[in-house]
Amino acid sequence: MTHLILDKVSVHYDGQPAPAVERVSLDIAKGDFVVLVGRSGCGKTSLLNVAAGLVEPAGGLATVGGRPITGPGSDRAVVFQNDALFPWLTARENVAFALRLRGVSADKRARRADELLSLVKLGDAGDKRIWELSGGMRQRVGLARALAAEPEFLLLDEPLGALDALTRERMQTTLLDLWAAAQVGVLMVTHGIEEALVLATRIVVLAPGPGHVVRTFETHFGRRYAAGEPIRAIKADPAFAAARAELTGAIFEGEAA
Amino acid sequence: MSVSTYSERPAAKAGETDGFSVPWSRPRPKRAVVSGRLVSAVTILLLLAAWTAAASLELVSPVFLPSPAAVWAKFVVGARDGFVDATLLQHTLASLWRVFAALIVAILVGVPIGLAIGISRIGRGVFDPLLEFLRPIPPLAYLPLIIIWFGIGEPSKILVIAIAMLAPVALSTAAGVRGVSRERVDAARSLGATRAQVIRHVILPSALPSILTGLRIALGAGWSTLVAAELVAATRGLGFMIQSAAQFLVTDVVVMGILVIAIIAFALEFVIRRVERVLVPWAGRE
Repeated sequence: MTHLILDKVSVHYDGQPAPAVERVSLDIAKGDFVVLVGRSGCGKTSLLNVAAGLVEPAGGLATVGGRPITGPGSDRAVVFQNDALFPWLTARENVAFALRLRGVSADKRARRADELLSLVKLGDAGDKRIWELSGGMRQRVGLARALAAEPEFLLLDEPLGALDALTRERMQTTLLDLWAAAQVGVLMVTHGIEEALVLATRIVVLAPGPGHVVRTFETHFGRRYAAGEPIRAIKADPAFAAARAELTGAIFEGEAA
Repeated sequence: MSVSTYSERPAAKAGETDGFSVPWSRPRPKRAVVSGRLVSAVTILLLLAAWTAAASLELVSPVFLPSPAAVWAKFVVGARDGFVDATLLQHTLASLWRVFAALIVAILVGVPIGLAIGISRIGRGVFDPLLEFLRPIPPLAYLPLIIIWFGIGEPSKILVIAIAMLAPVALSTAAGVRGVSRERVDAARSLGATRAQVIRHVILPSALPSILTGLRIALGAGWSTLVAAELVAATRGLGFMIQSAAQFLVTDVVVMGILVIAIIAFALEFVIRRVERVLVPWAGRE
């Protein structure tokens, strides 16, 4: 099975006195949903960018399927906080972008794009221009576009960060649906504690100065949703509240209250 | 004490200040706002009236300021019989052809240069100083060199205009390229785009609004260089027509030529704005 592995990865940006991340290891298998949480400056996004191949690690090794990561690739599609969609293309053309790069014929890629748009519940928005879509719809298009590349891993950099609370909640279940349907490994960065608990199979808590792992939680709430339990019932479970308190504690550990 | 809900609050009376507007801001006027276009139209009409009055009262000699009627008459004569061996239409077409040929040259050279400045440090190092050197030089200054190097044919005229257009096209392209969002490029790369595909499918379309703005500025620069370009052994063209008329103090033709250039430039500006709306409808809406 394919693994995305960060092995004792350090990140040091040019001109910075201290490294942003020091010796962090992660192992993400296909089917995992790994969420990185932690205070600002703990290097969450840096790690995600290393996995994406957008940032070169100063130390350690990043591999996918055993091969070193030397640059970005469509086996690891990234979705950013700001959708980064192409406004000169329609929603359908945006989703089909990766297929167009590969030279897939026009009607084939349109069909595939429509399938993916229905998967993110935007089946009838294919002809819409990007600026006609709401923030939540844009993020759905962004997710569909990433899935069109048929990645083995989805790298999500605060994909729901710019959305309002209600849309955000709805998008969380969409993410779980996609994760279950697409059989990918997910590495996601978020600020939302509840979001992390709802989605993750594993939560990695990082702390700043320089970024390092403080704790790792195995969680099961996302799998329970995937198994058919309603999200409300999961969130109302006392175990959820307990996990939430524990996670919050871990994030703010060592910080003056 | 009762708590009133929003629905129980009396509706604000018309004209009442809402407590949010700053005290010195006047309430919004009810009457239709005077449109900017109307103001422009009135301004032009007033100027025309002043011109007519000045000319008919002969405040200045017609050699200095011909009357609107005389200019109009020249326009009619020029359109029908021509002036200095060509009709007004032929002069106009000659000039339009030069400006557009120059624009195409400026696009073919300027967009790649702008791209190079925008995406590569070496490109920037090479072309930035060259453009900064070229930009402030008035066309009349390099005109003699162009004639010595390239002769007095049509290419020289086009080149003079193209040089004036190059900097705005290249610099606008560079600005557009540099303004492309990092995330957009990274997203494309993570979807499997090669460097060339990123340029073609992401950077160029992203920079298109800025490039079109550059073309608009370039066209303006081109028209203002036209007269200089047509100093070079031209037999046709609006700039040539104005110069020939000036040599014989035929001021009404000079004024007529200026007005024709102004109207064409205005019309082109309008066309490009339309093109912008069709080609880059997303500009300003992201």
